[in-house]
Amino acid sequence: MDRPHLKPDFAVNPCFSKDRRRFIRKVLDGTIAGSLLLVIPAGAELPVIPEQIKGLRDKAYDIQKQQFAFIVDITRCIGCGSCCVADKREYNVPDGNYRTWVERYLKDYEDNVYVDSPNGGLDGYQEPRDDLDVKIRDTFFVPKLCNMCQEPSCVQVCPVGATFKTPDGFVLVDHKRCVGCAYCIQACPYSVRFLHPESKTADKCTWCYHRVRRGLLPACVDVCPTGARKFGDLNDAESEVAQILKGPGVLTVLKKEMGNWPALYYKGLRREVV
Amino acid sequence: MNSAHEGSAYLISNYVLPNDLHVHWSMMIVLYPYLSGLVDGAFIVAALYYVFGVQSLKPIARFSLIFALAFLLCVGLPLNLHLGRPERGLNMMVTPSPTSAMAGGGYLYGVTFLVLILLILFLYRIHLVMQQQQSQGLKKLFYQVLTFGSDNVSAEALALDKKVIRFLAALGIPVATVFHGYVGFLFGGVKANPSWSTPLMPVIFLFSACVSGISGIVLAYIVIKKIRKAAIDVACVRTLINTLYGFFILAFAFEMLEVFSHSYLRTGYHHMVEGLLNGPLHTSFWIWQVGICSFGPLLILSGLCLFKVRDGVLVVGGAIVSFILLLQVLFMRWNVIIGGQLISKSARGYTEFHPEWFDKEGIVAVVFVMAIPFILLFILSRIFPLWLENENQA
Amino acid sequence: MKSTYNSHVKRIILGIIVVAICGYGAKRVLTPATFGKYGHYRADAIEEEAGLDIRHYTNTSCFSCHAWEAQTHLEGKHQSISCEFCHGAYADHVREDKKFAALPVKRDQEIVTLCMRCHNSAITARPHDVIKTVVLPGHLEEQKVKPTHTCNQCHHQHAPLKYINRAKAMVGIKEAS
Repeated sequence: MDRPHLKPDFAVNPCFSKDRRRFIRKVLDGTIAGSLLLVIPAGAELPVIPEQIKGLRDKAYDIQKQQFAFIVDITRCIGCGSCCVADKREYNVPDGNYRTWVERYLKDYEDNVYVDSPNGGLDGYQEPRDDLDVKIRDTFFVPKLCNMCQEPSCVQVCPVGATFKTPDGFVLVDHKRCVGCAYCIQACPYSVRFLHPESKTADKCTWCYHRVRRGLLPACVDVCPTGARKFGDLNDAESEVAQILKGPGVLTVLKKEMGNWPALYYKGLRREVV
Repeated sequence: MNSAHEGSAYLISNYVLPNDLHVHWSMMIVLYPYLSGLVDGAFIVAALYYVFGVQSLKPIARFSLIFALAFLLCVGLPLNLHLGRPERGLNMMVTPSPTSAMAGGGYLYGVTFLVLILLILFLYRIHLVMQQQQSQGLKKLFYQVLTFGSDNVSAEALALDKKVIRFLAALGIPVATVFHGYVGFLFGGVKANPSWSTPLMPVIFLFSACVSGISGIVLAYIVIKKIRKAAIDVACVRTLINTLYGFFILAFAFEMLEVFSHSYLRTGYHHMVEGLLNGPLHTSFWIWQVGICSFGPLLILSGLCLFKVRDGVLVVGGAIVSFILLLQVLFMRWNVIIGGQLISKSARGYTEFHPEWFDKEGIVAVVFVMAIPFILLFILSRIFPLWLENENQA
Repeated sequence: MKSTYNSHVKRIILGIIVVAICGYGAKRVLTPATFGKYGHYRADAIEEEAGLDIRHYTNTSCFSCHAWEAQTHLEGKHQSISCEFCHGAYADHVREDKKFAALPVKRDQEIVTLCMRCHNSAITARPHDVIKTVVLPGHLEEQKVKPTHTCNQCHHQHAPLKYINRAKAMVGIKEAS
């Protein structure tokens, strides 16, 4: 009788696991020796994390020449809410406020669309909706986050220059300058901004600028198990986002008629989504 | 009709985006345009006399300016109560963004305040010089400051004063207009909100500001005179009521034109505005703002202006209609500002507004802020008498 | 002192000019140093945002200590899932290369709730090519196990098909003979 070869069970052999640990450390040290260079701000901890955005770490960061894009693939979102959890943990986002969220769309046989987003999708979608008395024909999930508009209406209305677009295309908030007037919150067509209850300043998704500058993917992109969220450097022609953007597929943006020119693109977006 | 094509079917799930649940611009932001509108309206009343020479308004010309000043002094209070970081409020004057309507507020306030206070000081100069000469010590110093250290009331000086007053009053019209008009544009320039974004917004705000200003002057004039048991100049009230009629017709016409345009053009997110006015705002818009507080005054004003009415009827009717119109303008501000924020940017639902009682933007705070201008008016009337026996100035 | 007929006007104009100059001076002094470098904002704010601490360190950081879990995880269907999603952020566990707190591990019914976030068929939006979904308690009945079973009693949470495949192989052998 031929028994299939079973791999050694590491739990049974502790010595093996210690060697394994050392081995992995060496491997990681080897590959990253050269790439963890001067890009990381002085004084910051040097984490043992390999570069996730190719080529960003091996040269100085030229803020005038960088361009990034974020693509959300609706056909792959399963509504698990990992992105929302990771985002909340990365920034300690206060309850009731959302930097990113996932919406659930239900369509019945009369073409009526029912949308909900319980707690922004933070707990995932455990159960189907029980408050609707209709037969559901179709469902899909839509993650939403800051559209990082190229002509942001929030920047236009800020009275003190506390929110701004950086030369590398990120719309950020200067928490030392913001007066908490909430004009930017009114002006955002996508409702991605909120007033932070502790600092009393405006806040929003920043596409994890502090991670991107260190060559890492935004937290929500990193944890997405299905690849529904994609982020990349447009200067790298081989990156997934560059190839999708330059390819023939249909990419849409939200509320195009607003004229904000978002840098957040949706692949497979349905017409029911506003 | 197939729901796939029907815009209003969007509202079926009442979906409000997660960050849209909270209404950020609350009652304090309703009060700010209300107070600055009263300033603008009161100034326009004074300008009718000082620039356009409407003689029948002489009795309340000076009074209107003091009234405007009382409100202008506290117009910054609701804003500072609203800001998340009021201690940084001056940032708006240190680094004002050239693309932000709100950034203009600080400088516009400064210019308006300067023009108004100078106009008042010039108008009252004779009285103030007299007070300076008759008092001692700290009071004398106070009046010296107010007269800029000059006690020259010669004919030459008074002729110069007259020219300055004409200049300041004329300058004051565009200044006061822009001071309130920018608020209208502040809302009108927000494309993300279908209820706010319209070029008509500054126009609507300005005309209803004039309505509130005239109504405020009429009501305050009648009430103060009644309290002091003094005579009311009925010709003055008549002119004011006629002017009020004209301005209100314009304001109401523009307000209705706005609603009608939306519902006729049926563009973009009109279904949200329609749904708002017929839904959450049905009572406060159609029944209160339009019904009771617009058609009511239109009827009363038509009666008072188009027919010969006795003096007593005019005064009582004028006071009543002024009170109702002050309410109308408050409702209009509420319906636009808070009503507009009830619309979720999902285009699929409406949120709710829950006024707090003891919050810094709560009901108690609102009452407090509304009371302060009247206290200030009383204090100011001690320095600048609202009506002078010897009316020497132009 | 007798004032001339226009001394008050002169003093007012002078006062306005003085206030304007002082105001302009104050504006220059109070405007932050890097304001206007790239645009109408404080350029230092960019580096302040870039310098924020990262809290998620990606799976590689977890693997650097948890080699055994890494081995299992990287071979299974769950290899695209972030460790930090189920367990918590790295920054809540390790500080300056030293563990300072334990991360929570889900137990019993919590595991079922966690698994069903993704694997519940009842929500039809999950594309089959992306993820395998089941319904409870149907799945448990189908597999002929007790309804109180938690997912991890059959499925290894880091490699959900590990024991299933092993069991299939074993059963397969039995059937073959």
